[in-house]
Amino acid sequence: MLGIVEQGLILGLMSIGVFVSFRIVNMADLTVDGTFALGGALCVRLFSLGLNAPISLLLSLLAGASAGVLTGYLHRKLRINVLLAGILVMTMLYSINLRIMDGPNLPIPKSSVSSSLGTYEQVAGKDPLADLFESSAPVAKPQKETTRQRTYQNIFRGMADGQDLFLLSVIILIGVTLTGLFLRTELGTALRGFGTNPSGLESFGLPKTLMTLLGLGLANGFVSLAGGIFALYSGFADVTMGQGMIVTGLAVVMVGEILLVKKKIVYGLFAPILGGIVYQGILAVVMRYGYRIGFRASDMKLLTAIFIVAVIGFGLVSTNKRMKGKFRLSTIFGGGVSRD
Amino acid sequence: MIELSHVSVVYRKGEENEKCALKNATLRVAEGDFVIIVGPNGAGKSTLMKVLLCELAPTIGTYTLNGRAMRGFSVTQVARWVGRVFQDPNSGIFPDLSILENLSIASKKGIRGLRFRSCPQKAVTLLSRLGLGLENTLNVRAGDLSGGQKQALAMVMAIISDPKVLLLDEHTASLDPKSSVKVMELTRQINEQFGITVVMITHNMPFAEQYGNRKWRIEEGEVFEYEYRPPLRRTHLETPVVLLRDQPHYEPKLV
Repeated sequence: MLGIVEQGLILGLMSIGVFVSFRIVNMADLTVDGTFALGGALCVRLFSLGLNAPISLLLSLLAGASAGVLTGYLHRKLRINVLLAGILVMTMLYSINLRIMDGPNLPIPKSSVSSSLGTYEQVAGKDPLADLFESSAPVAKPQKETTRQRTYQNIFRGMADGQDLFLLSVIILIGVTLTGLFLRTELGTALRGFGTNPSGLESFGLPKTLMTLLGLGLANGFVSLAGGIFALYSGFADVTMGQGMIVTGLAVVMVGEILLVKKKIVYGLFAPILGGIVYQGILAVVMRYGYRIGFRASDMKLLTAIFIVAVIGFGLVSTNKRMKGKFRLSTIFGGGVSRD
Repeated sequence: MIELSHVSVVYRKGEENEKCALKNATLRVAEGDFVIIVGPNGAGKSTLMKVLLCELAPTIGTYTLNGRAMRGFSVTQVARWVGRVFQDPNSGIFPDLSILENLSIASKKGIRGLRFRSCPQKAVTLLSRLGLGLENTLNVRAGDLSGGQKQALAMVMAIISDPKVLLLDEHTASLDPKSSVKVMELTRQINEQFGITVVMITHNMPFAEQYGNRKWRIEEGEVFEYEYRPPLRRTHLETPVVLLRDQPHYEPKLV
């Protein structure tokens, strides 16, 4: 049960990113699939290189944000459709992630094992065979370990004792608070305005490019952070871990919005978190009991996609009478086409 | 103020279907003028508007605003001196944001910082002068307002930060007659009391006769001036101050 909430919170954090791109900036950003894995890969790599977990997470957040900025740049400056720009960056990230991990996946080394490249003497005392060769020339001593020994512990313990849950809640609380505060500022308000009327913002002297970069950077920063946390939490990073994340994230956002009906808590940022926990709960139930009616775990993506189609098709998340029944269809099916 | 000298705009230049949308237009608008532009569809009215907004650079000729040559300026840069309101009531406002947030975005030009948003007293005072009651519903979503209210809000937003010129492209076209009159009266007030130069495109002939001190007709890219009166100008520097003093103190509430 605790695990479901914890994973739900990570999913929620990731979906905040999807929420920012789809709902606040109103752009269908597909970079997300790549940035989630980027966050995981980079975080695990940095962690195993000896950085502590918070700094690894922070760096992966920045890397994710720059991937988002790149998508925004491709879209605005090179006039590539935002969907295509997202797919391009996502594809680039696939190769980059493989490079970062030097393979398709990378486990987090346990702290006790990873640092044990010390000399034999350090580990076992005197060499037991040394007596045999006393007369001969002294054996060349094994080279001393030159790499820095990692002393940092993974911040997630992977035990169901509530500590991980506490930590995740704190991270999410900080993330939501900072973003909520940002959206209250002049720049944040302008960003929200940009989502509803990009051209209108130009008449107040704010360039579209800047707002696009800002919005997509923020969104992908969240996703990448969630990817890093997920990797630390589960003990490994995998190049396919981001696959289908955009669809899952969108479903999570919609679940949250349906549950909260019209209440927009902290500009709606709360919806993805609630949605994440509920979605993870549904996932667990389907995994546990679904086999009785013939479901497999692999069917979940199909179900998720059908769920999104149903939600949009029937206009369940309409918050606005005018848009009822066609809730921002443009966002999903080519919102980027008409943006210029 | 605005000077166009020998401006021509040619679309698809050099191609077979080349079209000359503006022909050798030489126009001069003085500060405080209220220019009405009429003309049939496709005559070049919107092209002229695009040139004034720097969305389109003239193929030949120069555009000068306030003594500054406007070549190479972007839409966002020119926004510092030019406010605009278009036909679609949703194009001038941010529908998903509250009225207060809309005013807060509009009350500043250019890049914003991380200060918490605020809504200047002037914006609320202006809004209360409209007599639409919008100042009491600052937390209402702008998208939920009626067309006339949206357009009025858009005009207030366009002039809060004291532009030199206000460009209006058929801004009453999608409104009912009653709202249109209200919005036109607001336009007149903006011109007379604030001294903001107004350039307005309209298809509504009664409005074209009733308002404005200069009337232009555009036909097939050529601009003719068919009426000129000296502008009704008040000392626009003192008016807003009096206006603020007369209003009861109003504390805007943040969302």
